[in-house]
Amino acid sequence: MIPAPFEYQRVDSVDEAIQALSGEPDAKILAGGHSLLPLMRVRLSRPSKLVDISRIQDLKYIREDGDHVAIGAGTRHHDVANSEALKELCPIVPFSAEQIGDPQVRHVGTIGGSVAHADPASDMPSVLVALDAEMVVRGPGGVRNVPAVDFFKGLFEPDLSHDEVLTEIRVPKTQGRGWSYVKFHRRAQDWALVGVAALAQNGSGPAIGLTNMADRPIRASGVEEALSGGSDPGAAAERAAEGTSPPSDAFASAGYRQELVKVLVRRAIEEAQSR
Amino acid sequence: VIERAVDDLARHLDKDPAEIRRMNFVPKFTEDRPSLMGLNVDSGDYLPAFERALEMAEYDQYRKEQTSRRGNGDVRQIGIGLSSYIEMCGLAPSNILGALRYAAGGWDAAQVRCQPSGKVTLYIGTSPHGQGHDTTWAQIAADELGVTPDDIEVLHGDTATTPLGMDTYGSRSIAIGGAALHYALQKIKDKARTLAAHELEVSEDDLTFENGAFRVQGAPDKVRTIPELAVTAWTAHDLPDGFEPDLTATATWDPKNFTWPYGTHVCVVEVDTETGHTDLLRYVAVDDCGVVINPMIVDGQIHGGVAFGIAEALYEEVIYDEHGNLATSTLTQYLVPSAAEMPSFELDRTETPSPTNPLGVKGIGEAGTIAAPPAVINAVVDAVSHLGVTEVGKPATPERVWRAIKDAQGGGA
Repeated sequence: MIPAPFEYQRVDSVDEAIQALSGEPDAKILAGGHSLLPLMRVRLSRPSKLVDISRIQDLKYIREDGDHVAIGAGTRHHDVANSEALKELCPIVPFSAEQIGDPQVRHVGTIGGSVAHADPASDMPSVLVALDAEMVVRGPGGVRNVPAVDFFKGLFEPDLSHDEVLTEIRVPKTQGRGWSYVKFHRRAQDWALVGVAALAQNGSGPAIGLTNMADRPIRASGVEEALSGGSDPGAAAERAAEGTSPPSDAFASAGYRQELVKVLVRRAIEEAQSR
Repeated sequence: VIERAVDDLARHLDKDPAEIRRMNFVPKFTEDRPSLMGLNVDSGDYLPAFERALEMAEYDQYRKEQTSRRGNGDVRQIGIGLSSYIEMCGLAPSNILGALRYAAGGWDAAQVRCQPSGKVTLYIGTSPHGQGHDTTWAQIAADELGVTPDDIEVLHGDTATTPLGMDTYGSRSIAIGGAALHYALQKIKDKARTLAAHELEVSEDDLTFENGAFRVQGAPDKVRTIPELAVTAWTAHDLPDGFEPDLTATATWDPKNFTWPYGTHVCVVEVDTETGHTDLLRYVAVDDCGVVINPMIVDGQIHGGVAFGIAEALYEEVIYDEHGNLATSTLTQYLVPSAAEMPSFELDRTETPSPTNPLGVKGIGEAGTIAAPPAVINAVVDAVSHLGVTEVGKPATPERVWRAIKDAQGGGA
């Protein structure tokens, strides 16, 4: 329960963070610490150095930016969940943020930390994948924007090199588009056994993102295809398990998850279409 | 097992699970009654607790709701689970423990010291770890001695100061340790009466005792209180012949029988037949633990016990993987439910005193843990029995319930 030794450096700006990370391939960024510290405690993660960005005020914001809403990576889940702007412009994001962990976790954990951790069982990644959100990444070479679906490369594997910092998450405005996030879990504070993010067809095609159904958050493209082809939610949802490879663990078997996802996708689509 | 079997029997006989229980309850008795187990049960009046629980849970209405949802083929089905229990508490008569080859006896002890300061110190042999003995034992002594609970200190857990007792387990503390305290308090009162009679120069029979004060009948201004007598017993300047100085007494108590609390719990659930998820809609507990000394502590014991029982029925499980590694080694995987998973517990009581001890108490520590698992599992099975399910293992996880439904429908999974 005691982490391996590590260096610690607190930084006040993103530039300083990038500098602190340079030449330190085993360094990790510390924000809320709610994903990283539990792993360090059991020594599954042994960073040589922690670069603490939690006091960079410039990373804490939620603001409109054209047809997107820009969310600073250092914004706490609690602030995302309670953002009036997001509730109006992209309500699936604050609703899903409210489903993360418990109040203590939401007051310390950050959206950027949750995303950069790239845990397929986390709620926010699959929502961002369904939204076609963009990740803004800064490194020594400058800024690049990465589509969510490319950002999550695998289990705990974000598209970030060791000296890059995720600075912003850009979500499209979805006013007028029905949405749903269905999280199936055992206890209120648990990770999802399976989660489904759904956005109804309206201008854009229907979008379905799946939590904890593969080594990364994925789109249920078979379902989307069926819906675009005019299938009703029930028929479309029958394709929800296509291309999935969920885990079997102490909570549920992969086989159960692949059946459960069909039910949850159908319910998510029905809810999205009704609001 | 019995409560699950009773439900199974009801299904086989096509009878309501409530009706079959009603037909089989033992009628009211207030003195020891032999049971098939070979032990005597102290007292019981089972039907009133049962009927009250059904009434509180609106049993008949939920049965109607269940029929209607079954008729509609709803995804979310109602299940009602009953669990009537009786427990052997107040462990235990030492001779019975001896016959069972226990190393220890089953008695307990208490010492009461009326300090010259006016405070009363209780040294008890039971060893509370959250059961509230500090409060309850202080109440018992306050009632007897006419002092306020604030003036009573309860010491426990260190045999360097307390008398040797047999600890706290088996819902025994109040029935054995509480009774020992009662007898120690009687010795204090007897001693105090002797001293009061001596100081007031009357015979002991001429004294009344109320609210901690001895008064001479017909001359109520002639009075001695327990704190006053504690001082004179301590200074010992003028004691009756043969009177041991200091107002202090110790008693041990070895019961003649166990105590037998009982009750009925009713759980109403809603099972999502597509996912196997169970929602707890209602949880009603009507318990009879004999005379209740502190209602809030008794309620708290039931809350905790029911939460544990629900955890056993729906959440907690130790799992090893195929290599023999413990897969539930942290509280992330070993699911201890929180308040968020619990319904509001609805409690009531009947009160049938135990003839086994002078307080009439029976014990409440384990009631919830005993009654809740079968109540919850009976409810889950009841919710999906019309789909052919007759059994769901513990804990009834969503996957287990879902598989039980699939298996019953012959689909496999």
